[in-house]
Amino acid sequence: MNMLIKIAFRNLLRHKWRTLLTGIVIAFGLWIYLFMDSVMSGLDRGSIDNMINLSTSAVKIHTAEFDKERESFPLNYGLTNIAALEKHLAGHERVKACAPRTQFLGELSNYEESMPVIGTIIEPKQDSMVFSLTEYLKGNYFSEHGVNEIILGKDLARDMNVAIGDNITLFALTKYESHNAEDFIVIGLFHTTDPTLNKSGAYITFKDANTFLDLENTVTELNVQLKRRINLDDLEQDMKQVRAYIDKQFPKLATYTFIELGAGVLELVKQKKAWGVGMTLVFLLIAAVGIVNSVLMSVYERVREVGVLRALGLEGREIVRMFMLEGTMIGFFGSFVGVLLGCITIFVLTTVGYPLDVIYKDMYVDTAGFPYWGTIYGEWNVPLIIGTFLFGIATAFLASIYPARKAATMSVIQAIRFF
Amino acid sequence: MAILTLKEIKKEFTKGEQKVFALRGVDLNIDKGEFLSIVGPSGSGKTTLLNIIGCLDTPTSGNIEYDGKVLGTLNEKALSQYRKENIGFIFQSYNLIPVLSVLENIELPMVIEKKMDQSEITEKAMDIIKAVGLESMAHRLPREISGGQEQRVAIARALVKNPIVVLADEPTANLDSTTAQEIIALMEKINQERQTTFVFSTHDPRMQEHAKRVIVLKDGAIADDERR
Repeated sequence: MNMLIKIAFRNLLRHKWRTLLTGIVIAFGLWIYLFMDSVMSGLDRGSIDNMINLSTSAVKIHTAEFDKERESFPLNYGLTNIAALEKHLAGHERVKACAPRTQFLGELSNYEESMPVIGTIIEPKQDSMVFSLTEYLKGNYFSEHGVNEIILGKDLARDMNVAIGDNITLFALTKYESHNAEDFIVIGLFHTTDPTLNKSGAYITFKDANTFLDLENTVTELNVQLKRRINLDDLEQDMKQVRAYIDKQFPKLATYTFIELGAGVLELVKQKKAWGVGMTLVFLLIAAVGIVNSVLMSVYERVREVGVLRALGLEGREIVRMFMLEGTMIGFFGSFVGVLLGCITIFVLTTVGYPLDVIYKDMYVDTAGFPYWGTIYGEWNVPLIIGTFLFGIATAFLASIYPARKAATMSVIQAIRFF
Repeated sequence: MAILTLKEIKKEFTKGEQKVFALRGVDLNIDKGEFLSIVGPSGSGKTTLLNIIGCLDTPTSGNIEYDGKVLGTLNEKALSQYRKENIGFIFQSYNLIPVLSVLENIELPMVIEKKMDQSEITEKAMDIIKAVGLESMAHRLPREISGGQEQRVAIARALVKNPIVVLADEPTANLDSTTAQEIIALMEKINQERQTTFVFSTHDPRMQEHAKRVIVLKDGAIADDERR
């Protein structure tokens, strides 16, 4: 066996450029796959986290009545048992915080033109425990004693030609469906990863909304944030558990998790993963063809050598082993380099990240249907890395079978042209 | 006493729809220590005969006996095993393994046989390297030595397991005249000192001169068998 390894290894060195090129194809395929997987996983996770942290939260609770008409944001189906709900949720180990919100439709006017907005009424302190609006904010967040303060999306403010410190008028229907208008002072502008929110989002406090919309502290949704999970599947499991926990105590409420609220996003994530696997298979197929070609070339170049070895008594299965060793060594080399490069790239992606906002300046990046903004951080997936490494070697091993068998089944007499 | 006996060896090939008779009933006894040359025009059956003697091919009919053992009935694997243990080959174009050193090339038949440990293999290989006068070249690769030296390595490789018979195909065909004389002298010396049986095909008159027995093949049959 040592002699076979020696012959196989030295033959690879003898044709080092061919070995190198075939190895590079494998390495490139695996590297691209690991790189793409890390970026896409990071991007997917970042997008999901952003959606959860900006608009959907992990679990959202409405009344059943509100749920039926939720497209029109009705103000008269508020949750009546907020305190009991919050107390109940505090008893679950995976719940991090809860925050009430109420959304309404309105119109914003700068005295010259007006634009429709989706208003969100929040309890500032509680809201910042669940949502991360402040991370995207320029200017100020709501102050404790401030009156008629409003925070707008950056794009909305630009379209309305207003800046921080300017006054703006907000029109909306009150809870009792009478028209009302109120002047607000713009205290902050946000530039989030969600273009819709940036273009039509406006935030005011419950304190101001009670006067403006006769709200009487009506809360139409209670948002629940869960403790962070690295693995997305674990997070999905937590969401299901918390929903079951709520349903058990409050069966009449309509409870949604991100699994339903972000179903489209999650479906895209799965589809993208399938594409990623498909792309890798194409790369590996190309690499496999390269290996078959490389080992076949090696076989044809060494017909006489094979004949001599057979004449000296080497058996067919040992010839197969020798050529398969060659192919597998190329696979090992390519997989090792590919995975090494992949790990270095993932390390950079997880520590430094990929700053989309710096690279693309003010352009939004639409990642296959859902927005992402900021810096993408890659994700480590150790089982995938190990699997990719083994898959690369296995591909090379399988690709070597055909040429190796071809070598072993050659006629010794023809191979050797002995006499 | 004959170490190798061929009885009524026939070999037929089919070329398209035509049958070609490469050997038409060859009877031949080869004794231990013979230095035997097989000569004849192209297509006379030299190659086929040597293939069959070397267990690289099987006859269509007839028997081949090595040291009293009938090989005609053995399957491919058993033939390979017999070849490994009892026959040495010297090829026209040396056919050394290019990625192995001179020493490793000579060790190769013993490594394949898997009957000795590495130190014993190396010791035997070094002995035979000395016998062919290449001890200073032991660690060179085939591409780093001359054609004559390569053929010496091939002879050493063929002899290293003390085979019953060494088969050589035109061993001097690719060599210049001085080197060819050296190789013939070496083979003759080994034949005399070790009583190793050599069977070689050749067109080289110098080799034929040194042969102690010359078999002339014509149209697949022995036309002449001259002992000197």
